[in-house]
Amino acid sequence: MKNGFVFFLGLFAALAFSWGGVLLANKQLGALVPYYDDTESKAFPDRPPGIAARGQLVYADLGCAACHTQAVRRPGFGGDQARGWGERQSVARDYIFQTRPQLGASRLGPDLTNLAGRKPSAPDAEDLLKLLYTGQGAMPGYSFLFTERAVVGEPSAKALKFTGKLAAASGREIVPTERAQSLVAHLLSLNNVYDYPEARPMPKTEEKKEGGHGAAPAKKEEARK
Amino acid sequence: MTTAPTNAASAEVTAIDTSARWPLLLLFWSAIKWLVLSGGLALVTSIQLIKPSFFADCAWLTYGRAQALQETAFIYGWAANAGLAVALWVLGRLGGAPLRALNWVVVGTIFWNIAVALGCLGIATGEATSIAFLQLPRAVQPLMLVAYAAIGVAGILAWTGRRVACTYAAQWYALAALLLFPWIFSAAQVMLLWMPSRGVLQAVAAGWFAQGAWTLWLAPLGLAGAYYVVPKITGRALPSYDFAPHAFWALLVLGAWTAGRHLVGGPVPAWIASVAIVSCALLLFHYFVVGLNLRGALGGGGTALKFISFGLAAYVAGGFLDAITAFRDVARITQFTLFDAAQQQLALSGGLSMIFVGVIYYALPRLTGRAWFSAAFVRGHLALALLGVLLLVGSLAMAGWIQGHDLNNAKVSFADLAAHLRPWLLAAAAAQALLLLGHLIFAVNFLFTAAQACPFGSPFAKPADPSLFRQPSTLEAPAS
Repeated sequence: MKNGFVFFLGLFAALAFSWGGVLLANKQLGALVPYYDDTESKAFPDRPPGIAARGQLVYADLGCAACHTQAVRRPGFGGDQARGWGERQSVARDYIFQTRPQLGASRLGPDLTNLAGRKPSAPDAEDLLKLLYTGQGAMPGYSFLFTERAVVGEPSAKALKFTGKLAAASGREIVPTERAQSLVAHLLSLNNVYDYPEARPMPKTEEKKEGGHGAAPAKKEEARK
Repeated sequence: MTTAPTNAASAEVTAIDTSARWPLLLLFWSAIKWLVLSGGLALVTSIQLIKPSFFADCAWLTYGRAQALQETAFIYGWAANAGLAVALWVLGRLGGAPLRALNWVVVGTIFWNIAVALGCLGIATGEATSIAFLQLPRAVQPLMLVAYAAIGVAGILAWTGRRVACTYAAQWYALAALLLFPWIFSAAQVMLLWMPSRGVLQAVAAGWFAQGAWTLWLAPLGLAGAYYVVPKITGRALPSYDFAPHAFWALLVLGAWTAGRHLVGGPVPAWIASVAIVSCALLLFHYFVVGLNLRGALGGGGTALKFISFGLAAYVAGGFLDAITAFRDVARITQFTLFDAAQQQLALSGGLSMIFVGVIYYALPRLTGRAWFSAAFVRGHLALALLGVLLLVGSLAMAGWIQGHDLNNAKVSFADLAAHLRPWLLAAAAAQALLLLGHLIFAVNFLFTAAQACPFGSPFAKPADPSLFRQPSTLEAPAS
């Protein structure tokens, strides 16, 4: 390491080596296109509506990813499927239209990948706005995403309909700001329904696991004949 | 370059230290301010985990933003300033000549801290990028690069103008950190902020940057300090030093490849996780050699050595824990839980911070020529920091383990999960309070000690303690 130049080159090579991994991933997935389904005559995934894309920026700037992931792990690897977060694992194609994918690294709250497709009943815009305003369990309320104001003329159609303690004082109403509305639009756009070929388990490994059942027995029978 | 000591106090204070005194003190003081801020924010977020309504009405400190702020203040405030100061000091001393371009260091430090402060303001007001380790809004990032270059140039000059031909492990680590950060930082900016790559590739690039910032920048900065100070204090040559170059290159070559362990089972090609698991296992060689080289630190000694030995133990333990949790069967439980947070705290608060603090405890008397203002404060800080880190990492790891099992069991509702975590989160919040108190004591002690060296006289000045320094002959043991 006496030779400064060789040392410098070594540092650069070491860095470039690992960066090469990132480039390799880019080569593999950088040109991923939507999947066109002939039977449905439609390409998947859908491009999210503009308001949902804006909502994702609100999601990002509030740091929602500090508690919520948006990536389902495959059935059998953890409890994602059992919790109803998704029937299939998330794949790279799910995210190609997202400007800033929010995969997240912490699950203090539930995964939100398929929030809009929850079974038996998916939340609607009103549920989500109320949840955002009041918070629930470990989730704080985000009251700064709402404005409380005096009703002038007709009450706003968007005003939150609370009863009891939470209801606004008479003559006043609690209205979601534009940011709250776009955040909710984003949350309501979260539903990866389409079953891409790459999201299905590999058929080959299944054959091995099950000791050659499935497509293989037909061949065996042929061989016997 | 060593001038003949005129009294015991100046025995170890050379021209190299006196010329660099104020620029390095500025860097250290900037670092400690951020450490206190990050400690306060960590306490806020840990209380929010127990009581979600805490500061919930305040948009600036909503949990997600407070956490981003805490992380940013820690990495770009505390670790960056302290690490740069350590690197410059080590390169200057081992280079054998006073540091040059120190004006640039001062200007760079001022602008770096302005940039980070503006960036934190941006995060608080909703400009965060939502990328781990890179939360600062992109507007301030070019300024940070320029400021970093202004600081780093002194280190490069100290290396190229060194008076000793042979080089030491501390120098390799310091120089690698100085040079590699601008590369990974600018590459990450391009791939994530200026020309964002597509979909999940952002997660791949972000993971590469976050892991690179740790293994190619922060960890080498810490190791530079440890490799320099440990033999200085113990007065013995490092054992098994022949392996040190291999450990160095192992970290640089393999380090950033371990990023993919966070993406196990994620929506990315499986090879990314597989390569990461293998790299984590191979990197154990690095941790093993670091432990072997610096095992002398465990032998005891002064407060500085106690901080550093704890930091090294945490660093090595963290490496082994990374390798274990990378395995898919373990990741199935620990992924997405507070166990990740425990590992991060073990590496950052336990490993890096403790080493930096230890180096500061060693370096400040030599930079100022004065003993630490209060020995009781030093002991208090040590006790609080040790207790705080152990309690924090232990309770977060327990919480993470419980959380992981609960998450995988669909019958456990999130309300039950929160109830299970509560005692451990209370312990973690208590640990953050202890750490914050330790940071405050450290900051006060640092300020009063630095004030003693003020050329205009100081109300806190007191005579130097001759017992603080040992004879130069024992201190000048070879670093290799």
